[in-house]
Amino acid sequence: MRPEAKSRRNALTRFKLLPAMAAAVVAAGLGAAHAAQQVTLVETGSSLLYPLFNIWVPVFEKTHPDIRVTTQSTGSGTGIAQAISGVVQIGASDAYMSDPQIKQNKGLLNIPLAISAQAINYNLPGLNSQHLKLSGPVLAGIYTGKITKWNDPQIAKLNPGMKLPDHKIIPVHRTDGSGDTFIFSQYLSFSTPSWENSVGYGTTVSWPATSGGLGAEGNPGMVEALKQNPYSIAYIGVSFYKQVAAAKLGVAMLRNKDGKYVLPSASTISAAASQLVSKTPPDERISLVYAPGPNSYPIINYEYAIVNDHQPNKATADAVKDLLTWASTKGNAAQYLNQVEFKALPKPVLKLSEAQIAKIH
Amino acid sequence: MKRGRLFRLILTAIALVIPAALIVIVAFLARYSWTAIGFNGVRFLGTISWNLGNLYMNPVVRNGYHVPLGANYGILAFIVGTLFSSFLAILFALPVSIGTAVFLAEAVPRQVRPGFAMLVELVAVVPSVVFGLWGIYVLIPLIAHVFGPAITAVLGFIPFFNMGNSSGSGYGLLAAGIVLALMITPIIATTLYDALLQVPPELRESAVALGATRFEVVTKTLLPTVRLTLIGSVVLALGRALGETMAVLMVSGGALNYLPNTIFTPITTMAAFILSQLDSALQDPSEMAVKSLAEIALVLFVITLLVNASARIIVRGAARVRGV
Repeated sequence: MRPEAKSRRNALTRFKLLPAMAAAVVAAGLGAAHAAQQVTLVETGSSLLYPLFNIWVPVFEKTHPDIRVTTQSTGSGTGIAQAISGVVQIGASDAYMSDPQIKQNKGLLNIPLAISAQAINYNLPGLNSQHLKLSGPVLAGIYTGKITKWNDPQIAKLNPGMKLPDHKIIPVHRTDGSGDTFIFSQYLSFSTPSWENSVGYGTTVSWPATSGGLGAEGNPGMVEALKQNPYSIAYIGVSFYKQVAAAKLGVAMLRNKDGKYVLPSASTISAAASQLVSKTPPDERISLVYAPGPNSYPIINYEYAIVNDHQPNKATADAVKDLLTWASTKGNAAQYLNQVEFKALPKPVLKLSEAQIAKIH
Repeated sequence: MKRGRLFRLILTAIALVIPAALIVIVAFLARYSWTAIGFNGVRFLGTISWNLGNLYMNPVVRNGYHVPLGANYGILAFIVGTLFSSFLAILFALPVSIGTAVFLAEAVPRQVRPGFAMLVELVAVVPSVVFGLWGIYVLIPLIAHVFGPAITAVLGFIPFFNMGNSSGSGYGLLAAGIVLALMITPIIATTLYDALLQVPPELRESAVALGATRFEVVTKTLLPTVRLTLIGSVVLALGRALGETMAVLMVSGGALNYLPNTIFTPITTMAAFILSQLDSALQDPSEMAVKSLAEIALVLFVITLLVNASARIIVRGAARVRGV
């Protein structure tokens, strides 16, 4: 058969298929119309919350077949900005919105979804299996370049009997905007007046110029920088504990507000959270860093969903309410949170969240 | 006739889209960053301290502008980082690309030439994030443990080449320069290779007839003939290097508030800095932070323009000297 004839014949058969295809399209259209009740929610923001959302969403969608949730990891600042602009329904953020931001954007809610914590990790050859004791002022000294060597008297004083090496410290910080930088710089601000007055806190801060300092991109970049550089120190979200443990890095005991040294663990994180639950205001914007109490771990925080209380339509509003209610109650079960080392929200906080979620319309 | 005019009109309209897009982008950047330009003044280009200020307090009024308390925007360190890393990249890429192009055009048998050329072109399509990952896991340990100590052993008497004056982590100017060099090598090499193939065979034949060796044919006849193409491709490559974001962000070590004092010291480039700061800048209620980032984009654009313009002048000058 000649090529033209063949193609004509193909065209003919295609023609015959057309009605069938049209029918299929119509059927699909009807199907879509039938499923018009289905609501798609978009979540974007914090890279710390992203893994948890990916654990949550499949389970949630199974029990709520009419709701689809898309998740994205873009950064807390983007999460807040896109929730404000209405591009997404749920902005995920490690940091709560600031007062000026709330003033400019009335109706934005900050709803805690879980509690996270941060470890101070280091790579000290031979000493990684021991827990170095560190305090806010000493860490501030390291990150401002005032303490440059591991055997500095200020570090030695906190760690009597430990053979500290005579080696330069490499302080590693995040170059991207990050909730981890936010809570770390809060710990330094709340514990060290000189840090508060010079650097302050934020999702990025103006890191003082230190000769041996290093910037890394994201939590994976922090772990890699620690691994590759003996004598370095960094702050890393606890959800990365598996990678940190695999790289055999050290975990520091931190001095809390009561002057006691504590490691990040389920009990010290809950102890710190319980101290500040009663102080959590109705809009739930509060720092949990540097909590009082002898057993409180000093660097913990609420992980937030940033949501506009006014949604475009009732179906979307109901879907957002369903998701947030599910996430802060059933979603707080240990089987989900343990996978990322997050801790469940205390009961009294849930009451506040319930009141906030009820405002969404 | 009428049809011809219509065709021309359509072509003109299509051709105008590109310059129009360029003008729109620049106009937008200038308009958007206007308040930042007013607030920052010349300090923007001349100082190295960058501070978003306290985003959690109400903005204060300074010189008539609403800005966060303690905010200060100085980008000298990023300009230096951008120019240094791109310059290093060209320095590394130039000999490699010339060698590659000559090898492809002269030394490789005609039958396998397209295969080799394709391999080189393939390097150009590797996504920059892949170069970044390779940089973190392969290049940086290499610099920290092999290249760094070797360079220090040979050139260590010059402080700028002594790794002892840095943290010795491998992240920094050298890593950024090498990753950039890898990314721009195929741009220069393939352009040059194409030009070498276009050199009239008579030129080569007359050189050989005069008794030139193969080496002399390449250095005295072929390369001078394609000199203008070489300059053009370097300009293209430089444009790519100046604007590269992701790969540089991953290996540069993210320096803030200081200038590089050695080739091993962390740096930040302008493009990488815009990306890394944008997320936090979005939280600035006064919007001065985002506007200042837009101003960086504007400055980067002007620098790229200057590089292009000066290359054009060089090319024109060279053409006049040769009397073409």
